[in-house]
Amino acid sequence: MSDITVREKNKKISQAKRVTLIINGEQRNLEIGHLPHQVETTHTLLHTLRETLGLTGTKLTCDNGACGSCTVLMDGKAILSCMTLTVECGGKDITTIEGLKDRDTGALDPLQQSFIDHTAFQCGFCTPGIIMSAKALLNENSTPTEVQVKEALSGNFCRCISHYQVVRAVMAVSEGGA
Amino acid sequence: MRSFSHLNARTVSEAIAALVQFDGRARLNAGGTELFGALKDEFLPEYPEAVINIKSIKGLEYIKEEKGHLRIGALTKLSVLSESRLLRERYGALAEAAHAVAGPQIRNVATIGGNLCQDVRCCYYRYPRHIGGPINCARKGNGPCLAVNGDNRNHAIFAGRKCFAVCPSDTAVALALYDAQLVVVGPQGERQIAVRDFYTPIENLLQRTEIVREILIPAVTGTVTQSFSKFALRTPIDFAIVSVASLITLEDGICTDARIVLGAVAHNPHRALEAEEFLRGCRLDVEVSRQAGEFAIREAKPLSKNAFKIQIAKTLVSRAIFGQPAGFVLKGNFSETTSSTQMCSGKH
Repeated sequence: MSDITVREKNKKISQAKRVTLIINGEQRNLEIGHLPHQVETTHTLLHTLRETLGLTGTKLTCDNGACGSCTVLMDGKAILSCMTLTVECGGKDITTIEGLKDRDTGALDPLQQSFIDHTAFQCGFCTPGIIMSAKALLNENSTPTEVQVKEALSGNFCRCISHYQVVRAVMAVSEGGA
Repeated sequence: MRSFSHLNARTVSEAIAALVQFDGRARLNAGGTELFGALKDEFLPEYPEAVINIKSIKGLEYIKEEKGHLRIGALTKLSVLSESRLLRERYGALAEAAHAVAGPQIRNVATIGGNLCQDVRCCYYRYPRHIGGPINCARKGNGPCLAVNGDNRNHAIFAGRKCFAVCPSDTAVALALYDAQLVVVGPQGERQIAVRDFYTPIENLLQRTEIVREILIPAVTGTVTQSFSKFALRTPIDFAIVSVASLITLEDGICTDARIVLGAVAHNPHRALEAEEFLRGCRLDVEVSRQAGEFAIREAKPLSKNAFKIQIAKTLVSRAIFGQPAGFVLKGNFSETTSSTQMCSGKH
């Protein structure tokens, strides 16, 4: 062990120059640096999505991993983009709220339509995060129970108390749902 | 966040080499759910020069059974642990503890190594720079512990010394129950530290140039009943106010061995030795479990505002022993389990 360490002491790892990731089905090749079009090492995925790429559907609220507003899908799983560095997303497949619509026709995802049909929001600021968390659940389990829906959405807060309509909207698109 | 260099380590030794290169002024990043909170709030006296990504290290994400041990890679995600069939069947307290951490988005990225090494949640220690902090305190090596005369509702009720912040890790409580060891690697090679001894009142025992590689759990054998329950108010964001893990061996209804560990009551996972001693040889019933709860908190010395934790600890211990679902305790979402306390028993 120590032999390897001594040998590798001289072999410094260098900082990456680029990060390539897929965002909403499109490959993005981002430069790492300090210029306006570049990604800083300190930038969170949330910052890159909103400020560098203009995908403002993902919302910034607490910026501390508590509220769930910034939820996006990474390789199909719900994660918090405010606690993820963009430079660590190399090779990942990211889906934001903008990526849910049908890419050819532009039609909304049934889940999005269900939120509209059930008026599952009030001010709507938390809605993109909630929809992404619900999408992650439905990707894994197309027939969740109400308990599972509530559990999957437990990391998303809504100050307007839209939860009741949200649960109904998600249950409506679950295959066994209402 | 203020600027830092960013490196992707491909192997454990690369990560150690990078830590040595920055002479302790670098931080390892796995899930990032704790680290970036700390870097955004800038409450620590030192800001790291570099962040070393260890997610890029291959082969540190596993749950393996071998030679009387269960081995868990340090980068194994909490969501994987909480859904693991093996853990649910034989190490239920750990599966439940992993599930009790935060919300689904955090469990999808947070790792067990990171959960064990996270910093405390004391409201003085973590007071952010951008709203008038940071605040100096005993833990930062500068002044007294402010919680002693201040807001200490979430602080230690056992064995407080210097810093009264509690160990925030839920998985540490379950791992202390199993007598698990951390396998830690540094420039001098490998060493093992018992999870129970890992936390001191001021810091954990991980050196600035070391990395946790693996968690080693002695196999659980015999017919045992185990449980983990956590009391918290807003479960997806709140840390435990009190948690309890228990491992009880029963023969013909008589308790032949008991282990009880309390979480969030001291700087480390707190073993309730008196209660364990009392339970050995007892036939379990409501009265015995109530008495065990009393024994578990006998040594407690609460601060000015946290005596309420004693009542919670007592109740959680007695419910853990007699296996009653615990009212306010975090709900497990194992599809087949609706009770709050995950009970499991197995013969092997």
